[in-house]
Amino acid sequence: MLKLIKVTGNSLSPFFLSGDYVLIKTYRPAFKNIQSGSTIVFNHPDYGLLIKRVLANHPDSEALQVAGNHEDSISSQKLGLIPYSHISGIVIFHIKKPRIQI
Amino acid sequence: MFYKIIQTIDRFLSIPEAKAHCDVPCGIYDPITAQINALTVVRMMDLMAGLTEGDDQARVDFHNSMSRYIAVKEEHAEKAKHEVRVIWGDFIKDTHVEKYPELPGLVHKIMQLGSKSRQTADRKNGVAFVEAVNQFAEIFWGIKEVKIKKAKAPYAPALEMVYPDL
Repeated sequence: MLKLIKVTGNSLSPFFLSGDYVLIKTYRPAFKNIQSGSTIVFNHPDYGLLIKRVLANHPDSEALQVAGNHEDSISSQKLGLIPYSHISGIVIFHIKKPRIQI
Repeated sequence: MFYKIIQTIDRFLSIPEAKAHCDVPCGIYDPITAQINALTVVRMMDLMAGLTEGDDQARVDFHNSMSRYIAVKEEHAEKAKHEVRVIWGDFIKDTHVEKYPELPGLVHKIMQLGSKSRQTADRKNGVAFVEAVNQFAEIFWGIKEVKIKKAKAPYAPALEMVYPDL
């Protein structure tokens, strides 16, 4: 099953910019095979629908660690582990908004 | 083309939105965006100063170019202010301000110089804006304990800029 999602915000720039669209695969059995570096869309109880990069997959606990591993990043800790049940899908195709040049 | 098709579908079906915004701090902060935006302001001021009016056709071109330069100057001054506000609001902590007590005053100065750069076409204001944003960058990299280097921008206007020395 595939689903289209629109990206808002620029925190994943330059790879994903606000206004881009992504096609996600929502096939749940595939979640246990998500690789580090993949981009996923998931539902966070506090922040709503988010798009983030995967740092690590923990199939044993059926959860993912997402966001940056940057030294200042508090997002991983703040977001916590993302259970598979919160994942909406894995990004498999990226439709970029035309980049306007002045 | 493909994007436009998807965009049209979006208008009718309201495709769900996934946020990638920085209200969830991603930890990726870099003052270079503010610096480049501030530098662009000076570039636009230089281009504005270099325009000359001529015959009728040239006057049309003159106004067309001048309008564009002003619009870009406005936009980039505001973008530079926005980028500094994001770092100020999301990255800077009390301990950083204790270490760099001049920081609040500097951020306020950047806001004022950014506005001044929009209100006027005076290059002095634009250059002061770039210098203030560079000071902000120097403090930012100081907080991160990253060495900096100062070098002229490799494009016009070749003002001295602060870069991380990685």
